[in-house]
Amino acid sequence: MRVIIIGNGISGIIFSKTLRELDKKVEIDVFAKEKYHYYPRPNLIEFLAGRIPYERIFAFSEDWYKEQNINIHLNKPVKTIHLDSQEIKQQNDKREKYDKLLVASGCFSFVPPFKGANKKGVFTLRTIDDAFEILKSLENYRKVIIIGGGVLGLETARALKSRGAAVEVVEFFDRLLPRQLDSQGASILKDQIEKIGIKVHFGMATEEVLGQKEMKGLRFKGGKELEADMSIVAAGVRSYINIAKESGLKTDRGLVVNDYLQTTNPAVYGAGDVIQHKGRMYGIIPAAFNQAQTAAYNIFGQEKKYEGTIPSNTLKVVGLSVASIGLVNPEEGNYEEFRKENREEGVYKKIVVQDGTIVGSIWMGTKEGVNEISRLISQKTNIKKWKESILKDNFDFSVL
Amino acid sequence: MEKWECTSCGYIYDPEKGDPENGINPGTPFEDLPDDWVCPQCGVGKDFFQKLS
Repeated sequence: MRVIIIGNGISGIIFSKTLRELDKKVEIDVFAKEKYHYYPRPNLIEFLAGRIPYERIFAFSEDWYKEQNINIHLNKPVKTIHLDSQEIKQQNDKREKYDKLLVASGCFSFVPPFKGANKKGVFTLRTIDDAFEILKSLENYRKVIIIGGGVLGLETARALKSRGAAVEVVEFFDRLLPRQLDSQGASILKDQIEKIGIKVHFGMATEEVLGQKEMKGLRFKGGKELEADMSIVAAGVRSYINIAKESGLKTDRGLVVNDYLQTTNPAVYGAGDVIQHKGRMYGIIPAAFNQAQTAAYNIFGQEKKYEGTIPSNTLKVVGLSVASIGLVNPEEGNYEEFRKENREEGVYKKIVVQDGTIVGSIWMGTKEGVNEISRLISQKTNIKKWKESILKDNFDFSVL
Repeated sequence: MEKWECTSCGYIYDPEKGDPENGINPGTPFEDLPDDWVCPQCGVGKDFFQKLS
């Protein structure tokens, strides 16, 4: 059997690895758009910050692919998929036949349609080449505005600050990490970020990049202007669904897959940032990982259901650990919320409880207890008796 | 000896097992792993790990 994989990100690589663990003989061919070997995207931030050298960005060596007998084709983007003949076509029109296909093409950085987005000085951060371009620009330009106060925006802001740049963050919404934090947590985070010299502005919608050919600043809706010579757009991602869509596979915002990670064509599967499962798109590593493994089992007919992934983010921003799991901003319904904070130290703990089980949690500024809370959420443990005391420092989780 | 979890992909480093494929003998505590050791599953560095209590 020959399996072709479009994409060499974490889902492509974990899928290949799992396939090989399940079967020594299956032919595995990975087609990568980029010219680089697999790298975990979090390493780009480490590299940008100067915390790791270039060589440490990559995860597996050339030898690893050989040992695993995985054929990797770098710099070979796939042009089209032909469902009837079960082939993919490369840019040079060369065709490759598959028995099964995995679409793991991932996402690209979305740049909102503001004026002047193509002027010199506007960047995104998604690939190694992006990181190189940003570092090169930093040699001469040191005043940066990050567009987007989400996970990527904040991690990028801190990385560039540690490189000596002057950094400000502009966020469209009214708080930082709008998806992962609530207002209280976000306000504590904002204090901590400003403590290290990164200014944050809310309610800012970028309308234009000022300057002739080179960026001189940004103008926002409402007329406010900020000076800068570089900007990094971290305003979300969109999936690379064009090839799949053109081939006739069902797509919406992402490539639509069923509970077995199968697309509308039975020989084609999907995993990672590109897919949409039960209307959800994740964009986080644990989901990509889960989906890739599950898809590999299903390709061999070992039916494994993908039950979705509890959205969870663990990140470090300004040296502060921020974990956000499940439903953290409940709207209507019978939810109870419990909080404990220590603003000075940047500590904020919150749980969202429904019918005695924790359905979501924010755990910021401390790692103590976060693994236990995560487990209680995924196992749907009843914590009724401990609703309030569970947030205390040194709570003894063995009582549960 | 404590286990550590990769916050990037969920891989658990079990010191009793080590990571022999990458030259780490069983019985090696997490703290003793070389600085350039990476998660065997997704490739991120030690920095991304947290203690599993």
